[in-house]
Amino acid sequence: MTPERFHTIVEAYGADPRRWPEQERADAQAWAAAHRAEADAVLAESAAIDAWLARDQVAPPARELQRRIVESAPVRRPSWFRQHVWWSGAAIAGVGLTGGLAGALAVSFFVLTGAASSMHEPSVHESSYLTTGFGGSPDDWSDE
Amino acid sequence: MEAEDVAQEAFVRIWKQAPRWREGEAKFDTWLHRVALNLCYDRLRGQREEPVAELPDEADPAASPDVRIENEARDARIREALSALPARQREALVLNYYQELSNVDAAALMGITVDALESLLARARRNLRTQLAGIGPGEDKS
Repeated sequence: MTPERFHTIVEAYGADPRRWPEQERADAQAWAAAHRAEADAVLAESAAIDAWLARDQVAPPARELQRRIVESAPVRRPSWFRQHVWWSGAAIAGVGLTGGLAGALAVSFFVLTGAASSMHEPSVHESSYLTTGFGGSPDDWSDE
Repeated sequence: MEAEDVAQEAFVRIWKQAPRWREGEAKFDTWLHRVALNLCYDRLRGQREEPVAELPDEADPAASPDVRIENEARDARIREALSALPARQREALVLNYYQELSNVDAAALMGITVDALESLLARARRNLRTQLAGIGPGEDKS
């Protein structure tokens, strides 16, 4: 762990070691312990942003949304689906959890997304820009 | 609410894909994040109005009106700062910080290297720091 790498980690992931890359966490913590003053200065600066970020929270999905999602499930299921009863139960039970994931992401975007103009700002990662949501990647089977 | 429509639409994709899903070929949560991201951007591309939603006012009986107003103002301030970030920086922050995806998963989802993700995250934080300079995050007094 170099000082530069420690700075990079904290500047990217924040002051909470639980959010640091798992494979580098122990080394980064050891470096911080060995260089307390320098580490504390970096961590304190980043902790302020962490505190701000923590203020923005998304409410869990409402029961009504869970009901709508369960009702949207196909009524007729393929034979393999019927044979795996556990999956049916898991699908319904998982709606809350997975709905939370998808819902939180969607809420984050719709609540956090700024003016539409920001969507068209030049990106320094233009090549990769085309491979995600902006580029309509087919990897999500969205054409179906 | 538009976000709920996206969540429901994401499940329609799940139902459609379920019969052909083969465990081990892809991580479900990564796939679902990609679906949700694409759905979000599809919708955002189709709208030109200011999409920053107003959160419903929820009265907090435990907080006095002035404290509640102060908390709401702080929450609004961070929301504004987040919404002002360039889209790719916000995307990185949402996936890594709020959705708690690993750096490898978030980078893969965005089609970039981990180094590029870290650059986006660091720039996002610097931008936030600049926008929020002089204002402490405070403590939620409610």
